[in-house]
Formats: sequence, structure tokens, C-alpha cells
Amino acid sequence: MTYLPTADHDELRAAVRELAEERIAPRAAEIDEKAEFPWDLKELLAKQDLLGTCFEEKHGGTNLDTIGQSIVAEEIARADATTSLIPIVQKLGALPIMLAGTDEQKDRYFPRLASGEWLAAFGLTEAAAGSDVASNRMRATRDGDGYVLNGSKRFITHGSVANLLTVFALTDPEAGGRKGMSAFIVEADTPGFAAPRVEHKMGIRGSPTAELTFDDVRVPVANRLGEEGEGFKIAMATLDRSRLGIAAQAVGIAQGALDAAIGYAADRQQFGQRVVDFEGIQFMLADMASQTEAARQLTYAAAARVDAQASDLRYWTSSAKLVAGDTAMRVTTDAVQVLGGYGYISEYPVERMMRDAKITQLYEGTQQIQRLIVARQLLQRAGAAKRG
Amino acid sequence: MKIVVCIKQVPATGADKRYTDDLTLDRTSVDAIINPLDEYAIEQALRLADAGIADSVTYLSMGPDQAAEALRRALAMGGDDAVLITDAALAGADEWATAKVLAAALDKLAPDVALMGMASDDARGSLVPGAVAAMRNVPLLSYGSELAIEGDAARVRRLSATGFDWITAPLPVVATVTDQVGEPRYASLKGIMAAKRKPLETWGLADIGLSADELKGAALTVVTDARPPEEKAPTERIENLPAAEAATKIADWLAARKLI
Amino acid sequence: MSNDILFLAEFAAGTPARSALELATGAAELASQSGGSAIGLAYGAGASDGAAALGAQGAARAIVLGNEDRPAITYAPALVAATRDAGLALLAPATPNGRDLAAAVVGSLHVPAFGPVRAVRIADGVVESEQATLQGSVVTTSRPADGAPSPSVVLVLANTFTPTDGGTGSAEVSAAPAAEESALTQATVAESHEAEAKVVNLEEATIIVAGGRGVASEEGFAPLRELAGVLGGAVGASRAAADAGWIPYQLQIGQTGKVVKPALYIGAGISGAIQHRVGMQTAEHVVAINKDPDAPIGEFADLFVVGDLFQIIPALTEEIRRRKGA
Repeated sequence: MTYLPTADHDELRAAVRELAEERIAPRAAEIDEKAEFPWDLKELLAKQDLLGTCFEEKHGGTNLDTIGQSIVAEEIARADATTSLIPIVQKLGALPIMLAGTDEQKDRYFPRLASGEWLAAFGLTEAAAGSDVASNRMRATRDGDGYVLNGSKRFITHGSVANLLTVFALTDPEAGGRKGMSAFIVEADTPGFAAPRVEHKMGIRGSPTAELTFDDVRVPVANRLGEEGEGFKIAMATLDRSRLGIAAQAVGIAQGALDAAIGYAADRQQFGQRVVDFEGIQFMLADMASQTEAARQLTYAAAARVDAQASDLRYWTSSAKLVAGDTAMRVTTDAVQVLGGYGYISEYPVERMMRDAKITQLYEGTQQIQRLIVARQLLQRAGAAKRG
Repeated sequence: MKIVVCIKQVPATGADKRYTDDLTLDRTSVDAIINPLDEYAIEQALRLADAGIADSVTYLSMGPDQAAEALRRALAMGGDDAVLITDAALAGADEWATAKVLAAALDKLAPDVALMGMASDDARGSLVPGAVAAMRNVPLLSYGSELAIEGDAARVRRLSATGFDWITAPLPVVATVTDQVGEPRYASLKGIMAAKRKPLETWGLADIGLSADELKGAALTVVTDARPPEEKAPTERIENLPAAEAATKIADWLAARKLI
Repeated sequence: MSNDILFLAEFAAGTPARSALELATGAAELASQSGGSAIGLAYGAGASDGAAALGAQGAARAIVLGNEDRPAITYAPALVAATRDAGLALLAPATPNGRDLAAAVVGSLHVPAFGPVRAVRIADGVVESEQATLQGSVVTTSRPADGAPSPSVVLVLANTFTPTDGGTGSAEVSAAPAAEESALTQATVAESHEAEAKVVNLEEATIIVAGGRGVASEEGFAPLRELAGVLGGAVGASRAAADAGWIPYQLQIGQTGKVVKPALYIGAGISGAIQHRVGMQTAEHVVAINKDPDAPIGEFADLFVVGDLFQIIPALTEEIRRRKGA
């Protein structure tokens, strides 16, 4: 297994970086201030084929490996975390179909997602069931050749802008969330579906986080993913892979903050020398750089495990998200420190990056959940060693 | 209708440039990019291809092996194929020699339009297009803010002293376009991937019927000195003054230099 | 080989372009160093009537390449015929027309080419020119290689020479030698469109007040025009302002616009990107007015005023008016 980026990866990074620096970075402050979804950048990313990187060529995608997909997310996040969620959530919403969908389902929906004509979202979390997915309450009742969905979801990234959502609901409430939940493809224009409210957030403010309501939403049986009762398994398998997108986003945010800090420190004069000439600042920059690089390399190592379908990929993706999220928080906080008072004001981008970084420690499993996953894997390995 | 776009790889704008001991530019010392003004020629050619007016777009460059990167980047934006002319005898080629080589390659490729950027970022003569037109004995349509094809003729919209003209000439032509043709497109991911499979040929001088001897002695000019610009006096600054006071100071400054 | 200095002289409606007067003056200066004569190569509408007057700037002779209003490049075959083996140097203006014609000469005659140059002189009997290359980061001095054919083609930036005033000489006018058949003559003007507003030739201005993105609108140029008015100068712009449609492209200064060399350049709301800088870096005095204290133009301006151009420019106009009135 190799996880060193190739010359093709370098070329990809250069191309995305150019686009992100010239077209996305100049929009970042405005997107943050207005808290508006950047439809223009969604169109730009679609036109440049950057929303189809996880889809096969037969569906109009470019079928990049997971390191390539990480590089795309990373380079966009380096300019703007909000915009990086467009490709990241496109994959998150599509992953349940990739993992459990039929060829018919894939052929029907993937071309529209790969081209970027449609946006996808992933509807799992409920108000009363965040990390504790098994206590979900939303219902799906079988009715003839379809299911009727009733209930609500909360904290759904892109829930209000998506055309297609993969939604999880209980088909067997007696059996509970772990065994009685099923997954469905819901088209956003289905009667009874609504996104009545979006949250006011600290960071990633242009990315709408929506509350969704389902009022007798009728979904054909053909839109069920996998068998009844497989929802929990599909959701967990999705998160095992999708959290790597968050790791890549976190690496990108950290790199953006580091680059901004270096740029500022090299330019600004204090006490007759450049800020960057102070050893104390150099130590900070060195720590920021090496930690960001460590997070990046762990992300690529995990990406290679995802492509290899390694049995312990969950250990790797959780570790990567844990390290990258904490790194993004630390590096952006340090970047604000390097800029001093200027770091705290919106004239410079690092305070936005610091606010954006926080979410990477929270969504797709909090850092505490990641630690539980890593620990469980660790103990399983130890147990296996004992038995051997 | 066949278009050949001539492109040049140049050092990235803003990069530090160094001269080697023999006072030629040390091209290994800096990042190389497609001459930014050539990207507008590429964009113009691809627009004509998108509109179904151009049947094929070929890129032509003269330079060291690394110039193939510039051709791949152009192919990622669109177009069909590319030719790199590379030969040890071409190191340090001046505008005449460059034009001679491009003209010979264009004779072989026989396009209806040989399209170029209005100038090169790293040398400011802009003599190559006109020299190529003279050598090939075809009309020159230069500095177009748009290039159009009408039947057997090409025409460019060109700024005049008092407005603009459409200047026309029968095909084949050499044409140059300005940065007013519209912003060059970004290469899409599929474009980048497709570019790797597009034909890129490398030709030597013999392939275009030239010999190193014909280009020898081509160095008609010698650089006798290369130095940084004169140190200018440090900038005087006027800051944090009300407009009227600042205006008085500016007027004093201008008066001291007899500019008012 | 003669020691004559040839120069291109473009005419419109019987009047020589400012570049023709500058180059006539420069050619006369170089001819006095080389021991030859300054010879004008005149083309354009009314060239045959106006050519003799080039003598006022010191031209001894003028050869008329053609007398019609047609694309400059169509005069290339006549120019090549008149230039072949005819002198030490051919001075051409570093304008689009000058470059096209110079290029045709270089391509046809395989002679050395220089420029665009900011200084040119005769040293050891050859043309020596000074050129800011690579966007101003290096200044090079060049001359023809030993044994290189003549004439050397030299592209000359506007305002490199100041036209002689009050001269009374008259150049001896003759027709161009027969030219070879060439496809270069096939370009024709199919349509001509006049701009709504009359625009000045920026290359001829000795004082320029230029506006950029910071001017923010078409109306924003009004105070710049007033200042240019009291200074006796012209208004110019950066590419951003021309692209925004605030001002005609004829007034754009920079890599893809006009290259100017005024005695005074005032840049208002212009950041000073390299593409603009290459169009004005040879100005003798540069004053910049910008809200951003870190604008790149502050690094190469002679006087950098940090502040709001919409307050400072009207105040400066008023102050200059007051002093002129006094």
C-alpha cells in the first residue's frame, strides 16, 4: 500500500489551488459575513468537474482515488472551509448509495450528482439523537409499494439546498435504531418534505445547516437502500469513510491559516525587524507546519486504507479526523496569535478560519466519539492478540 | 478551418529572475508558466472551436523539453494536439530565429490561422508574429480584441486612435489577440485527465527542414551589460493629513520639481 | 553601408504623429553622432504633403512609402524595400503599428532588433541601446554583434526624445523604391467605428492623471479630469477601470495598453500591479494616491499619499488653481 502523492496528485493540487486562490479565496469573507450558500462557486466547481471526483466515469465522474479527493477538499478548504463542503457533502450524501445502492439507483442518480446539477445531503442526525444514533425516532411506515416518512432531522448540512437526501428512519421501532432503521433516497421536491429553518452558526456560515421536516413523505420501495433494518450499518459504513473528508477539510483550514500567518509575519515590522525574524514566532510557525503535515500524512495514509478496503479502515479514518480536527483548531488559534490584534479582526482571514476550524472537532462524530472508535479498535486488536 | 496557437513558456510573473554568467536568462531558476498573454490566444481559439468554426486546434511551442509542460497545460484547457520544437541549436534564439523556426513549423502544419498572444511576458519586442507573417508571406491581423472567421477571410476587431476597426484579410493569416478577447478558461479536471492522452509530438530542426547552420550566426545582438535598475530615491510619504494639508504638500512637491 | 539613421513617420490627415516628431528629433541626434543623415520613412494619409515638414526636427530627407489611409502593415513591403542596406539604424515607435512594421523588416531582412528601448546612442560606430527587460527587474545594454547586417531595428518608447521646437528645415522628399509583391498588403479595413467620446493620444501627454479600481465608477473620473485640466495633462486608466467600462480602452496604460513616459504621472486608486507598472515605470515623476498604505505602487512611487482620492484630488485641483491664479 502506498500513500505518497504521485505526479498526477501534484498536478491536481496545483490546478485546484490556482482556482481556489483566484476564484474562491476572494469570496470567502463575503460568504462568511452574509452567511449565504455560494451558488456561484457551486457552479464553478461543477464546471471544473470537482463535484464528481468520487463518481465513476460511466456516471460522468472522474473517479479519483481517495487521496485525490482529499487533495481537492484540502485545497478548497485552504481558501474557504464553507466552499470545501460542497464536494465533501456531495460525497457524504452519495456514500449510502455507493455502499448499498443498486445499479438502477446509481444509474438514476449519480449522473446528476457527478455533473453537479444536483446536490446531495445526508440526513441522519435528529434533535434528540446526535452522537447516539441508535436512539433515532423518525419513522418510515410501509404502505403498498412505498413507505411513508414522518418525523424531523436536525443539523443536516446542505439540507436546505440539496436536491437529493439519503435519509434514515425506523421501519421497525420495536427493534430500535440499531436493528430497526432503514435508509432511503428522498428527492427534495417530494410533497411533505420541507427545510423550514437553518441554524445561525459560529463558523462555516455559508453552508446551510438545516432542520428538515417529513410530513407523510411518500417514498417508493425502489428508493430504499439495502434491506429493511440495514440503515444503521449503512450509516456507520458511510461515516467510516466520509469523516476522511472532514479530516481533509481540517488539514486545508490549518494550511490556510499557516500560510496567512507566514505571509503576515514576513511582511509586518515590529521593533525594527520583521515579525517572522523573532525566534518565538519561528517556533510557533514550525510547530504549526509540522503538525499540519502530520495530519495531512495521516489523512493520506487513511485514504489509502479506504481505497484498499482495509478491514481496519475505521481506525485510520477516525484517527485522521481526530488528529486533523485538533490540529486545525490549534493551528488556527496560533495563527490568530501570530497576527496579534489583527488576527482578531475580520480584516484578516485567520479569525474566520479559527471559527471554521471548530466544526471539524464536532461534526461527523465529535472528537470524543472518534476517541471511542479508536479505543474500541485498539482493544479489539489487543483482544485478538491475546486469543492468538 | 484549422488553427495553430503558438505559445511560449515563460518565467512566472513576479518570480525572481537571474542571468547566467553569459548574460542569458537562467530559465532553470524560476517557475515556468504559459506566457499569460498567450492564454488569451488559446481562449480565442477554443471559443472558435466551441462555436464549431474551428475544426481543430493545435498548439505549437519552441523551447527546451520542459516546455512540454506548457503544451500539456494548454491541452488541458482544450484543443486537439501539440507540437514542441526542441533542439540544442535553439538555445538563446533571438526573435528572428524564433520566427524562422515557427514559420517553418507552420509551413508544415499549414493552418488557416496561426494565432499568437500580443506580446511575450519576458521580452517586450512583440516582433515574432510580424516576422512570421513576412517569412510565410501571409497577411498579418494584429492586436485583435476579437478574431472572427467569415468564409475564406479572417477579421480582427482592433482599437483605432478614435474607436475601433474591423480589419480583414484572406486566409491563411497570422493573427494576434489582446487580453480583451475574454478571460482564459481554467482547465477542468476532465480536461487535465484528457490532456495526458492527447498527441504531443516533439520535432527537431530536421523535421521542419531547417539545419543548425541556417540558424547559426542568428545571434545578431549581444548584451554587453545587465544590471538592476538604478536605485531610486526612497518614496516620500504623506499620511494621516487632512485633505487640504495633503494637497498643499503635494503642490509644494510638484512646484519644487517645476511640474506646476 | 551608410551611416544614415532611418525613422518611421506615421501620418494621419496630413499631420505627422507625435512619434514621428520624436523619432525625427532622435534620428537627427543619432545621425550627428554617426556622421550620416536622418531619413524619414513616411506613410499614411497625407504623408506626401506632410513629409517635407519633418525637416523641422532635423530630417534631411523623407521617403514616402504610401499616401493612403490603410492598415500600417500594408506598408511593410515598401518599407522593406526602402530599408534594405540603407543605413545604420531604423527607429520605429514602440506602438502596435510600429512593432508590426519593425517585425516585417526583421523577418524579411534578418537584421538585429532592439527594444523597446528607453535610451539609444551611437557608440564605436554602432547603435547601443538600453532596455528595461523582464518587467523592469533588469536593465540591459545591447548592441549589434560584430558583422551583423544593417540597419539595426530599434523600437523606441514614447517620450524618449523630445521633439525640437521652432525648426525651419525642410526634408527632401522622394518616392519609395519598387516593392516586392507581398501578401502583407492584403489586409484592409472592413469597418470603422468612432468612439462616442473623443479620446486623446495618451502617448503624447507629458502629464497623466490615471485612475484605477479605486475610482469606482465612470463618474469617479470627473475629479481626475478636473485635475488633469488644471495641470494641462490627460486622463489615463488601469486595465481594471477600462474593463469595468468606466473609460475607453484607448486610455488604458500598461502591458496590454499604452506604454507612456510622461514627465509626471499621478496614479489615483491604482494599486500598481506589475501589468500596469510596465506601462508607466519610465515616467520621470510618479505620484500615487491610495487609501491602502500597503499598495504596491507605494513601493515605486516618488511621492505616495495615503488617503481618500475623492477628498485629496479636488483639494489638490483647488490648490493648483489658487497658485496659478496668484
